[in-house]
Amino acid sequence: MKRIFVIFTTISLVFTACEKEEEIIEGCTDTGSVNYNSNATNDNGSCKYNLSINFTHTIDGNPLEINQMIYTNTASQNYSIQTLRYLLSDITLHSANGTSTLLDEVHFITISDPSTFNLDIQDLNSANYIAISFTMGLDSLKNITNNYLNESFFPSFSWPDFIGGGYHYMQLEGDYTTALQGYATHTGGTDGIDFSFTKHFPISLNIANANTIVIINMEINNWYSNPNIINLTTDGIMGNANKQSLLQANGIADVFSIFYPIK
Amino acid sequence: MSGCTDNTAVNYSADAITDDGSCFFFSTTPFIIETPSGFPEMNIPSNNPMTVEGVSLGEKLFKDPILSRNNTQACINCHQQNFSFSDPNQYSTGIDHIQGIRNASALINIGWNTSFNWDGSSLTLEEQAFEPVSNPIEMHNDWKVVESTLNTHADYPTLFKEAFNIDYIDSNYVVMAIAQFERTLISANSKFDRYLKGEAQLTVSELGGYAIFNSEKGDCFHCHGTQMFMDNLFHNNGLDPEPFTDLGLGKITNNASDNAKFKTPTLRNIELTAPYMHDGRFSTLEEVVEHYNSGGEYSLTVDPLMKKLGVGLQLTNQEKQDLIAFLKTLTDNNFISEK
Ligand code: HEC
Ligand code: HEC
Repeated sequence: MKRIFVIFTTISLVFTACEKEEEIIEGCTDTGSVNYNSNATNDNGSCKYNLSINFTHTIDGNPLEINQMIYTNTASQNYSIQTLRYLLSDITLHSANGTSTLLDEVHFITISDPSTFNLDIQDLNSANYIAISFTMGLDSLKNITNNYLNESFFPSFSWPDFIGGGYHYMQLEGDYTTALQGYATHTGGTDGIDFSFTKHFPISLNIANANTIVIINMEINNWYSNPNIINLTTDGIMGNANKQSLLQANGIADVFSIFYPIK
Repeated sequence: MSGCTDNTAVNYSADAITDDGSCFFFSTTPFIIETPSGFPEMNIPSNNPMTVEGVSLGEKLFKDPILSRNNTQACINCHQQNFSFSDPNQYSTGIDHIQGIRNASALINIGWNTSFNWDGSSLTLEEQAFEPVSNPIEMHNDWKVVESTLNTHADYPTLFKEAFNIDYIDSNYVVMAIAQFERTLISANSKFDRYLKGEAQLTVSELGGYAIFNSEKGDCFHCHGTQMFMDNLFHNNGLDPEPFTDLGLGKITNNASDNAKFKTPTLRNIELTAPYMHDGRFSTLEEVVEHYNSGGEYSLTVDPLMKKLGVGLQLTNQEKQDLIAFLKTLTDNNFISEK
């Protein structure tokens, strides 16, 4: 008897509370969004979400381990990796309604600073995203000497004017065959040719979740494998348009891949 | 009693009852840094803006032995202007006649450095300036003593008042003034700079050296690149095999993979800053070039850009001379004669 009475009181309280709210408050009503408005009574489509892009690096599918002569390329050379630094530009999400959202104009990644492995995008509209694209390196409009003077990759990523100017796209360095020999796979515009390339990955992503993570993975060994088998040498390749074009073709083929949660 | 009765004025007098119109207020003149072509904006801490008053006070402090315990040594004694603010001796000698283990760095465009000392042990110029004053093998003083000497000095209290509007000279303001002066040590008017502007010609030999420096033939630009001639990074350029006597960056980060890495110095004014390397081991540019030309020593942390250890660049004698001729185009005579 007593119990029923208690329940009854509670219900009547709830009723009283509801009656007070006459006005409709517009806002985002999704608790999983970054701008959830607890006062809102009507969802007006303004919800925003966080997206995190993570950059990962593998060799033969395994996470990169630096400074160890444990890798073998298709040309059967043993090699290690000490430095990996690269620029991705125009990282863009494309939505079903034809609009695109530029997430970052230029993003610099270096394995010596894990904070560069993340690109956190705040306040993204909820939409059905159907593709993600990015450019490896800088296209010729961006790849201009001193264009990015105040970025963290200046001065160390500069490509001398003497051999064309602009910036490196990638510096992949280590030893090969013996610890006494270093290689430097440095890619960039050479002989007036812009060797940057754009990758466009179809995805099916509805960002309506507190934190969505999209992974862009670089499979490092593939730079040297497919379709062109590339030998590591101690000779620089920065003035070598032929080598640059072989690396570009390999880069386009299967160096990058995308992982994202499927709902 | 009459005087200035406004308590926000510099000459506020607590005893004054009637204001005689003599009040004057704290104001400083901004010191404008001209960013040389090819340089980013200088990163100036927001709590220490550049002022004409601060810079000139900093210069006075930099040159004044008052900061040392026995009043015999100023910053300028180890960072001599004629040598592009470096020490021509391999190791500098402190006030107690003790020598350190590192060559005094040249102070050139250091406002653009992202860390200081060969091992990057300081992250700001303000922080760095605390160190030589109290270092027992340098000026061997005590900051409390410095503060009391400056506060009782005939000129300094007024100069600090003008620069920072303070009544008591605290060590933080001493290093702020010094750092402001150090940020004005800008060198960007060498023959090479004039060549880039089309105002000077390089000789055939200098141009040959320019090409070696800026291509993978010499591969100097990867670490000493751009018009800054440095990369703000740390490398082991193959000077020594293990075991290392000086761990460099590794001692600061406690990370063995940083052992024997040192901050890449700018090559501007390199003709003036002998001896070379963190320990001043090379007395001539010929020796430096020979080091790179013969490839360097193997160690676990040697930079992969030292691509052919023990073999080196294999430059001809002419090419070596050309490279040195190019390095000498980086000398800026105004830098050592101004001020
Ligand atoms: C006894 C000689 C001596 C005196 C005096 C001295 N220094 Fe130095 N300074 C050195 C040496 C040696 C180094 C390199 C230290 C190292 O890397 O461990 C150095 C390094 C520096 C650096 C780092 C530069 C760079 O590019 O990283 C700055 C800045 C500097 N000194 C400023 C000063 C100031 C300011 C004073 C006066 C308050 C001063 N020094 C007094 C010897 C001296
Ligand atoms: C892998 C990076 C790297 C490369 C490549 C490189 N340097 Fe250096 N350089 C350094 C570092 C780091 C130091 C300081 C090393 C030390 O003191 O332990 C240095 C020091 C020097 C110094 C002495 C500077 C001083 O103030 O004492 C000169 C001169 C120099 N390098 C010239 C060259 C030339 C010329 C080339 C090309 C042939 C070159 N470097 C290539 C990293 C490099």
